Amino acid sequence: MNKQYLEAFSKAYLDIFPQFGIVDVSLMKESQGGRIIETAGVACIVGIVGELAGNVIFSMSEDVGKRIASYMMGGMEVEAFDEIAQSAISELGNMLAASACIGISEFGKTLDISTPTLMHGDFSVSGSYETVHHLEMSVDSLDFHIYVSLEERS
Amino acid sequence: MNEIKIVVVDDSPFSVTMISNILEENGFSVVGSANSMAEAVEVVAKIKPDVVTMDMTMPGGDGLECTKALHILDPDLKVVIVSSMMDEEIIHKAKKAKVSGYVQKPLDGEEISLLIHRIMADEHLFVELEEMYFQAFKEAFTDTCNKFFKSVPVYLEENTEDAEQTSRGISVVLGIIGKYGGRMILDMSAETAKKTAEILLAKEILKTEEIINVIGEISNIIAGNACSMINKKNNLYGLRVAPPTVVYGEAITISKGELNTVSSVLADTVCGQVCINVGFNRSEQNE
Repeated sequence: MNKQYLEAFSKAYLDIFPQFGIVDVSLMKESQGGRIIETAGVACIVGIVGELAGNVIFSMSEDVGKRIASYMMGGMEVEAFDEIAQSAISELGNMLAASACIGISEFGKTLDISTPTLMHGDFSVSGSYETVHHLEMSVDSLDFHIYVSLEERS
Repeated sequence: MNEIKIVVVDDSPFSVTMISNILEENGFSVVGSANSMAEAVEVVAKIKPDVVTMDMTMPGGDGLECTKALHILDPDLKVVIVSSMMDEEIIHKAKKAKVSGYVQKPLDGEEISLLIHRIMADEHLFVELEEMYFQAFKEAFTDTCNKFFKSVPVYLEENTEDAEQTSRGISVVLGIIGKYGGRMILDMSAETAKKTAEILLAKEILKTEEIINVIGEISNIIAGNACSMINKKNNLYGLRVAPPTVVYGEAITISKGELNTVSSVLADTVCGQVCINVGFNRSEQNE
């Protein structure tokens, strides 16, 4: 996959988090792995179709999910990973994927994203294709993972 | 189509008269008006119009705040912003506030007429989708079972609740993209998935990866066929299916979808029970 496409995802992350007042964010590491992804407890799945197709999975622990949801709701205390927190993380996944796809469209590839599906618990997820790119991001020194599995469609 | 009922909201009585006249001339029925946010809330609650035209500057809150307040009363209310100011920032904010459209003052009768007719036709299109999508997905599921297993599934209880679900072990998520976005989730036990893969690959003792591939592929066929059926009824839907994502594990909770319409049913197949869950969002994509 084109490096620029992957950068669109980390850029979306680094652009959007500060909008919620989360300033301690960075890209820690970029790697490539196989299809099966061990999630950190919460996964927000967004399907992508267009000139590139595949999926992007945003994964984090429930604690990180609660922390981000709290920032997104203007500092409101989030005690449990409840419906409101889940809704916030779904919205976050939607925003990140949409922003990354707008970034990719600047390279002449048009993409559309699906409604996000949020899951939590103890589980694994498969990427759409054999190769999955992993962006290890940090938020307040905690982990946030972006898994991108996209292929060009002729 | 029935008469379209409109409420005009504008702080200037002059503008209310101008806009109302233009709308009436174009065959719409102006059933009320308001000059402030408080009045708008009161009028909409009482009259329940199909469409509200909304000025951006209003005493007691701007047009977008007013739109939010009206959407609390009626989430399906169509709001058209009519404003002399129309820059990218306003359009961006308007989209976020779930505004159905925007036109600039001075108002062009033909422009607003086309816009309102398009918005109402879209509403009709969603209702049409709501009426037929689940049947299409069930039909595609039945056809696929019939083709691959020479056996048709028996459908058990059906419901339309958008609720949190606990997975049976394996969930396949397929995003749907088009005029309206949505998703299909097929959920089954690991045993059902294994049996499905064993029958299709005609061999036993499969690796997890093989099971995932088969289940993903078969779900893709079902969703693809269902979306084709829907597109054939009306090509305006333009539905496409994103590649499948397979989720599996000991404890999976699937969050509420936040979709405008959700249907699910439990299907008894030769391989075991499969829960089919499909939903769509009313809001249009890429707007």
